[in-house]
Amino acid sequence: MHGSVVAMDRVTKRFTGHTAVDALSLEVPAGMIYGLLGPNGAGKTTAIRMIMNILIPDEGSVSLFGTAGTGRDYSARIGFLPEERGLYPKMRVLDVLVFLAEAKGVDRRIARARGQEWLERLGLGDWSLRRVADLSKGMQQKVQFISTVLHDPDLVVLDEPFSGLDPVNTQVMKDTVLDLRRRGKTILFSTHIMEHAEKLCDQLCIIARGRKLVDGTPAAVTLAHGGRHVTVAFEAPPPEAASQVFADRTLVVGVQDYGRYAELELAEGSDPQEILRRLVAGGARLSRFDIAGPSLHKVFVDLVGPDAARAEAVGGRVADA
Amino acid sequence: MRKVWAVVRREFVERVRTRAMWISAVLGPVFFAAMIFLPLLLAGGGHKTIVVVDATTTAFGERVARGLQGANFTVARVASRPGVLDSLTVEVSDGRLDGFLLISDSLLEAGAAEYRASNVSSFTTIERLERGLQQIAVRARLEREGVDPAVVGRAQLRMDLSTKKIARGRTVEESAGQSFSLAYFMGIILYIAITLYGVNVMNSVLEEKTTRIVEVLISSLRPAQLMAGKLLGVGAVSLLQFVIWGVSAGLMLGHRASIAARLGMPGEVSVFEVPDVTLATGVVFLVYFLGGFFLYSAMFAAVGAISSSEQEARQAQVPVTLLLLVSFMGMFSMLNDPDSTFAVTLSIVPFTSPIAMPVRWAAGSLPLSEVVLSVATLVVGIIVVTAVAARIYRVGILMTGKRPALREVIRWVGRA
Repeated sequence: MHGSVVAMDRVTKRFTGHTAVDALSLEVPAGMIYGLLGPNGAGKTTAIRMIMNILIPDEGSVSLFGTAGTGRDYSARIGFLPEERGLYPKMRVLDVLVFLAEAKGVDRRIARARGQEWLERLGLGDWSLRRVADLSKGMQQKVQFISTVLHDPDLVVLDEPFSGLDPVNTQVMKDTVLDLRRRGKTILFSTHIMEHAEKLCDQLCIIARGRKLVDGTPAAVTLAHGGRHVTVAFEAPPPEAASQVFADRTLVVGVQDYGRYAELELAEGSDPQEILRRLVAGGARLSRFDIAGPSLHKVFVDLVGPDAARAEAVGGRVADA
Repeated sequence: MRKVWAVVRREFVERVRTRAMWISAVLGPVFFAAMIFLPLLLAGGGHKTIVVVDATTTAFGERVARGLQGANFTVARVASRPGVLDSLTVEVSDGRLDGFLLISDSLLEAGAAEYRASNVSSFTTIERLERGLQQIAVRARLEREGVDPAVVGRAQLRMDLSTKKIARGRTVEESAGQSFSLAYFMGIILYIAITLYGVNVMNSVLEEKTTRIVEVLISSLRPAQLMAGKLLGVGAVSLLQFVIWGVSAGLMLGHRASIAARLGMPGEVSVFEVPDVTLATGVVFLVYFLGGFFLYSAMFAAVGAISSSEQEARQAQVPVTLLLLVSFMGMFSMLNDPDSTFAVTLSIVPFTSPIAMPVRWAAGSLPLSEVVLSVATLVVGIIVVTAVAARIYRVGILMTGKRPALREVIRWVGRA
């Protein structure tokens, strides 16, 4: 699959009194894990609801799989885990899974077989005939996750997939997401926990108050927003080539050289990989090469800090809308 | 279409699995059996063995005993003496005797007598006794005045007024009581069933909304598909319920005599007049039930969609229930005069016709043109109301927080 699976083009959504999503454009490439990051009330859920065709944009357009079709037209190819979880409490676990798959157009018998398979896989095999209400919250979350992937969708949209999960289930969720990517699926997920995003995402987009602040790969984003330090340590006294590299003002603007250890401040737009390549080519043996850029977390807080504080106040309403 | 079918199936299967469904499936026939057999039980009737305790000073006592003896009573006569009442009372309580009649000279003079029995609420028996005693006393008094007994015999006549209903150009054997009870019964059942299943639809909408599962559903199906599936699914459950009730009632009516006999009740005596339910009446009932169900369930679905808790829904449903209540309350006046302007209007306005029309149909004759007009307005009403309700539903199910003001809901309807 080529091109982008999801493309939002200057999408705007207003609710009475405020703009939840403001001229947001983003592209989710096929086969990648894409993170939509933002503080509470940033418009993540509204954006996802527009992708899912639950809400209609006031302006702009959303296209899926490179066509003009809406989320509902492609419901068989899309799995959706909404922010607010919920299942029919009185129904039996397997029946819920079968019904939700049927609503996406999967044949009943196939849905039944796959549902049982997934339940076994996530350790809920014995619970398939129990009522949903009898399950613990964590189990219900698993069941709901199964319902998003049961029909083997090409695109999986997860709104805050890790919220409310314990560490064990968080790991299960991460593994399953990574497995989905291995099988060529595209995953779009939203979160406000940067640690998840940094480790999982191939690409990400940070939004606040409905606007895009930055997007790109995690490395590019941290690099572009203050990822300007590299720490180098040598096994043996560094060769002559090292000082030449450190003196190259296109790469490094500042050096604190301690002999076998140096801290470099990188030049605007320079690539730390280039420094590493030239050091190795120059015969240096490195014991450490650390792009000591600020974490995504720091970038995020720097970028959305003031906004986050303000958005918090209206967060509830945005999530509701 | 397959997606709608999935919704229909879920609504149907999950509802049929509930205990409430089977409780009402069983309670319906129980209620029906009570309606049929309780009057039989109370009416009693049948052949009774009684004793006449004769305290008269003439031969009149003997005449009474002879006169009552026949198809309905086996009569023995004993002279009144101390202790006889006590022993007869024992006989009655032991069930060897149905009752005893105390007569004295005052029967002939003042028309007074006393009947003691284990069951004195059996008005058939009482009526027969009274009528028999009256005949004998009147005859004796006339003879005492010198009237020829033969003349007296010829002069006595038992009046029996039989009523027949003229329905749809034909005269049918149906008493006023039957028409009334059929119309009344249909009105109540329709009112209860439309409310019951409408509230079912409302709760189903509300459940999906409060559990937020509706978001997943709406990303797979159009809101109209979801709502249609819901109405059809719950509608199918209601039909199943009616089939269960109808079949059990039919069986009970068909085998009434043998069931009654097995229960030791006189089966041939029918005080409760069972109305003759024709196929046409059944069709009218079902058509208007389904019409009323779709009309009101669409409204109930909209109510569920704009509410976010059961308490809110209970409040918001009041206007809808009141609307249905109008036709239910109107039923009593309609039964009095099925052809009044009031009754005709109610049976043509779509919001009241689902109850009003079947009631009028059962109570009297109706011109075909009125039935056609009523069905036509009902169909138009369903189309319009469902379209409006679907728009409210579409916006409402995704909304949380405070219930919207009426003005806001109207704005949703106006939106394309």
